[in-house]
Amino acid sequence: MGVSAQFTGAGEPTPDTPPAFQAIGAHAAYDGVPVLDGVDLRIPSGQTMAVLGPNGSGKSTLMRAMLGIVPLTSGEIRVHGTALRRFRDWKRIGYVPQRLTAGGAVPATVREIVASGQVARRRRLSLPTRADRAAVDEALAAVDLSDRAGDAVRELSGGQQQRVLIARALAGRPDTFVMDEPMAGVDAENQRALAHAIGRLRDQGSTVVLVLHELGPLETVIERAVVLEHGRVVHDGAPPEATGDCARPGHEHQHPHPDPNDPDPRVAPTDAHAEIVRLEVPHRD
Amino acid sequence: MTELLHYEFMRRALIAAVLVGLVTPVIGTFLVQRRLALLGDGIGHVALTGVALGLLTSTSPVVTAAVVATVGAVLMELVRVRTRTSGDVALALLFYGGIAGGVLLIGLTPGASNATLTSFLFGSVSTVAEEDIWIVGVLALGVLGVLAVFGRELFVLCQDEEVARAHGLPVRFLSILLAVTAALTVVIAMRVVGVLMVSALMIVPVAAAQQLSRSFRVTMGLAVLIGLVSSLGGLTTAFYSDLAPGATIVLLALVVYCVAVVVGSVLRRATRRRGAAPRPPASAGPTDTMLQTDRGKVTP
Repeated sequence: MGVSAQFTGAGEPTPDTPPAFQAIGAHAAYDGVPVLDGVDLRIPSGQTMAVLGPNGSGKSTLMRAMLGIVPLTSGEIRVHGTALRRFRDWKRIGYVPQRLTAGGAVPATVREIVASGQVARRRRLSLPTRADRAAVDEALAAVDLSDRAGDAVRELSGGQQQRVLIARALAGRPDTFVMDEPMAGVDAENQRALAHAIGRLRDQGSTVVLVLHELGPLETVIERAVVLEHGRVVHDGAPPEATGDCARPGHEHQHPHPDPNDPDPRVAPTDAHAEIVRLEVPHRD
Repeated sequence: MTELLHYEFMRRALIAAVLVGLVTPVIGTFLVQRRLALLGDGIGHVALTGVALGLLTSTSPVVTAAVVATVGAVLMELVRVRTRTSGDVALALLFYGGIAGGVLLIGLTPGASNATLTSFLFGSVSTVAEEDIWIVGVLALGVLGVLAVFGRELFVLCQDEEVARAHGLPVRFLSILLAVTAALTVVIAMRVVGVLMVSALMIVPVAAAQQLSRSFRVTMGLAVLIGLVSSLGGLTTAFYSDLAPGATIVLLALVVYCVAVVVGSVLRRATRRRGAAPRPPASAGPTDTMLQTDRGKVTP
């Protein structure tokens, strides 16, 4: 499970290092429905930060807007001090999307998927160098999948596929990570392993921004938590103290697919129920 | 077998078949990965309008088809992006516009008959002229060149468009590039199997290769092999048994697919039995995820 210092890139941030991400009055909308309603956020380089909030609070949209996947309707995003549309240093960014599967319609091996994470740093028509291959090996080792490198991704369990997605982000050796619910659909043991890997990224000075459902095993790793509600920041500071599962921020709102037959979705579905329903979302393949 | 090579037209047909068998599965692998398996079909329909335009204006139908198919491909890509929800309906509009335009224009062309139409709909590899071979050869080189240069980026795009954006890749440019490359491939294959069956050569070899492979690269390689076997085997069979070449090629590819399904399932069962002990079975997935849901409770 070793993440080498080479993943970190920049090293210790100096006081005049621009923030990794900066959102200034960020507004975004889907089909005219506002999702982000004026978010101001500054994520210093080297910080490990969680974005929490109920479903539909805009936390995923904020992440995606920070990477230019979702356009803003107004406001500005700056990445490492550069306006997003002029940002070119994409090899510094490692993105872990929220997916149920890591594969596509055509079979691909774990190694092929992980190596594709180097697309931003490799020149066209170039063969992989020894360093490229070493980075893939290390990324696989960091998520404990070295022995599965030659297997088809679709043969792996959900938790293992999530680790493949994280290894893909690691393979490009970025210093800035954006992970959208990396713990979703991952069993407890894998969650602890992932928390460990993320803790190591933090120790090496990487910026890690995580969208999370709940802090869970990451509680000890997170330095700062931002809670969104209705597209606005309602909490920004230390991770809220948890006195049990139900004390976690936004918990009471987390009912991704409430039972339509139930008059009060806040009462009936337990967290367990909600999670099981989430898994029934059809695969994207 | 050598008897084939005595005929000038068969030599040209064989060259065309090799180019088609080589190029179509390569682009097809990307299209299947991007879940755009029917894009080739749509472009094929649009290409017919191009062919008819060539016949009407007495220019090379291959050239006009290339131009019109490229325009159609760009249009389809733009329509797909703009009207996300009704993408398949938009594609259908282009399908029918393309084929209706083609039939109408061929009808206007003096000297063109139903036979002309049929030869483009279902292929007429034996009437390929030397000029066509040169054009098809250049197009094939162009398609393979584009895929060699942009292959890595296209893999990421076809795998996950959102991730491609987060890597800063020029997603719109790459999408259009893929669509245009597919359009040129359609034109390459059009003479051999006809616009109605073009897509089969892009998709069927890939579908067959998928059954036997666990890697993207191997899938592509196998698909090319299956494409070459089908196109050369189909053409040869058609020559000796006096069958329609295009249909024979496509049916042969489908036979290979059926064999691949059977062989693939036998192989998978064998590896599962052998690999069951050291490796957790693939079905561990649901159990894995269930555990998390009940973490707070005593039992999963």
